[in-house]
Amino acid sequence: MAGMASAGIVSYGAYIPLMRLPFSVIAGKAPKEGGPEKAVAWMDEDSVTLGVAAAQNCLQGFDRSRIDAVIFATTTYAFAEKQAAAIIAKALNLKGDVRTADIAHSTRGGTIALQSAIDAVKAGSASRVLVVAADCRMGAPGSGFESNTGDAAAAFLVGNEGVVATLDCACAHTTEIIDIWRKQGDRFVHSWEDRFVNVHGYIDNTVAAIKGLLAKSGKTVADISKAALYAPEARSLGEMSRAAGIAKEQINDPLFGKVGNAGAAFAPLLLINALETSKAGEKILVANYGDGADALLFTVNNSRARSENYRNVVQMLARRKVVDAYGKYMKARGLTITEYAEVDEPGISATVHYRERDEDLSFEGQVCSHCGTHQFPKGRVCVRCHSKDQWTPACYSDLTGKVVTYTLDAFFPSPEPPTAVGIVEVINADGSAGPRIHMQVCETTPKDIAIDLPVQFTFRCIHRVGLRPNYFWKSTPIVAVEGVAV
Amino acid sequence: MSIKDKVAIVGVGCCKFGENWDRSEEDMIVDAAYEAYADAGITEPSKQIDAIYCGSLYTKNGPVEVGEALKLYKPLTAVSNYCATGTEAFRAGVMAVACGVYDTVLVVGYDKPKDRGVSGPSVNIKGVRDLPATPAGWFAMCAAPYFKKFGAGREDLAKIAVKNHYNGTLSPKSFLKKIITEEEALNGRMISWPFGLYDCAAQSDGAAVAVITKASLAKSFRSDPVYVKAVASGSAANPHTDPDHDFLRWKPTENAAAEAYKMAGINNPFTEIHLAQVHDCFTLTELLAYEDLGFIAKGAAKEHIANGTFALTGALPVNTDGGLKTFGHPTGATGVRMLVENVLQLQGRAEKRQLILHNKKQPTMALTHNIGGFPTGCAVTIIGIDK
Repeated sequence: MAGMASAGIVSYGAYIPLMRLPFSVIAGKAPKEGGPEKAVAWMDEDSVTLGVAAAQNCLQGFDRSRIDAVIFATTTYAFAEKQAAAIIAKALNLKGDVRTADIAHSTRGGTIALQSAIDAVKAGSASRVLVVAADCRMGAPGSGFESNTGDAAAAFLVGNEGVVATLDCACAHTTEIIDIWRKQGDRFVHSWEDRFVNVHGYIDNTVAAIKGLLAKSGKTVADISKAALYAPEARSLGEMSRAAGIAKEQINDPLFGKVGNAGAAFAPLLLINALETSKAGEKILVANYGDGADALLFTVNNSRARSENYRNVVQMLARRKVVDAYGKYMKARGLTITEYAEVDEPGISATVHYRERDEDLSFEGQVCSHCGTHQFPKGRVCVRCHSKDQWTPACYSDLTGKVVTYTLDAFFPSPEPPTAVGIVEVINADGSAGPRIHMQVCETTPKDIAIDLPVQFTFRCIHRVGLRPNYFWKSTPIVAVEGVAV
Repeated sequence: MSIKDKVAIVGVGCCKFGENWDRSEEDMIVDAAYEAYADAGITEPSKQIDAIYCGSLYTKNGPVEVGEALKLYKPLTAVSNYCATGTEAFRAGVMAVACGVYDTVLVVGYDKPKDRGVSGPSVNIKGVRDLPATPAGWFAMCAAPYFKKFGAGREDLAKIAVKNHYNGTLSPKSFLKKIITEEEALNGRMISWPFGLYDCAAQSDGAAVAVITKASLAKSFRSDPVYVKAVASGSAANPHTDPDHDFLRWKPTENAAAEAYKMAGINNPFTEIHLAQVHDCFTLTELLAYEDLGFIAKGAAKEHIANGTFALTGALPVNTDGGLKTFGHPTGATGVRMLVENVLQLQGRAEKRQLILHNKKQPTMALTHNIGGFPTGCAVTIIGIDK
């Protein structure tokens, strides 16, 4: 095999939402700086938007037109019938013949998706596959699940050129057990009695998969530099790793009390965190659980230089805003009690949505071939030179912009009004002016928004009219983030 | 070809504006129309009116509301142009008379937004782009750049609200009759920065009607007709996507004003126009109108507001009946209501709020202005009386 390119991870990128819910706030007290918290998707976020953000982080500097397939793993998605990977592919403006698949129903989905992608590349049926895992699981208010779960996303570009981590070996161990579940329509995670669940579900299966992996690969626990280990919560992580013979020092920070168990994205997020801090030649063990367990062994190759806009896990942990009242979290997650159900009207015309998919999902406008003016939304006549149908498409999602003017709307539904809305001027890659777009400025405050504020673009759920997520892009301030350089 | 002096207003009527819970569109149209008939001395409307031009933004059933209310089975045209709807109905009627198709036309502006069960405009969430979509948000987009460039602020806007609240107390048919202080104006709850509650027009129900006829017939209706000097419309690209907009002005107003002044032959609006009803859907809209209409230089509003230039006793009184702010803003009615006020002022019939010019003469030239959309459309009228 020497000299032959082997399949593995070519690039990676995680995303942790800005908002953090402190356990003290869950308990009805004031936020306590330095205390435990969890990452929470806000009103305009869901698994799809977090996934798109992680993919944007992962794909910086890579040619998106070379991506052959997208596999999306989640257990939290708005539709029972309608694919999320297709939305993600469109939001990333991938080519039309991209293959798309969702892997659902299991927190193990992230590693299943990663292995499927690597298998496809090995088999030669795809050369570059994007794997996205994201989850926004909720525990019932006040339950242990509420504090143990968290929301995050992870994305990997899999291929056989420029591989930064090679998959050496993988082993699965599947058991049927009714341990943790959500039935159709359930909003919250449920479980059977916890000691039974931990021993016969998580611990037995995960240990079996790890031992199987070591036997299959001929390695020992001592060969492992870092272990990225899924766990339902911190205590059972300790029990499982002791049973598997893994030392504390080998375990990658499981991020409990910082992010929380991010479901299908949890083990992938920890793998990214481990990759970001590993050196060439080191071996990373990934163990994942959900209706059985997966164990994967990666060898780290020379890491590649990352774009200066890349955000690593440490930087994303530092980029945080504390939720100061539990009621705001409830409002953001649709948990507030109202006398009337949410508006169940048909919502946006599916016909209009289809016609406007390039603008709304891919954030694509156009540039006038005659005078060079950018225009969004598209339209047929140029606002400057009035030439008709002389356009070249232009995608703005990876560019930056600046606020031309703004207002703060006190009435748009939001857990923390007012909603900042601006006229944002896109800045083209060559520094020239792109289109001006009327759009929300999220993750800012009335104090911080200003004329000329530099912004970037983020895919969000704008509202849920029709009882479904309706996506478009928002702008968000470009903030200098503390943390280690990558 | 100019429209100047070809058409005259010979009768005006206006119903009581407000939250007219116990009155329908038809009730209000009848109130305003029969007042206008009486004003014009019309006793047999089905014989004396040749056609109707109407406008309503929130109409439930369309122009049939006017036809059924008045039982006038005449040519009936409905027009729509956001907040300029009423003035556009007037403009269409004036052009029909000027070109000689009809002698006498009824112009009806009306709206009944208070039947919708919401206070203020509803938050439109039909699409995913351009949200939140509220008029306050659209009209606020000039605030930050204007404040930054000219050093104005919310306190200057508050003075406009205080003025219009005062003027409204002098108008028998206005919705709000409450004198407020600058402090109250500044402390209202926020709607869309920089607009607090007192920066926003009062949404209300109402109807207003004008009878217009060709100039040669005007004196057969009444001895003091008011002549149309100009009626203009302006539009501009959506300011949200206009790559060249500076957000210090609204271009539709500049466009419509230029056309209107050319038609009327006005060179110095500040001295030649004696009073104006301008679109104060929000206080900043009125401020920008002072400048965009050419009354004063761009950036000079702050100083003029402080000096009382636009108060009832000022050099160029604006919104003498309280404006949209307190008279109320039934969208389709507003432009026609403004004409009603200007006619009353020019004919010396404005009672407690009657203007007397500094030279002790009565005003003879008056302007109305509406702007609506994002804003994207504007209409301006200039009317005058012979004295």
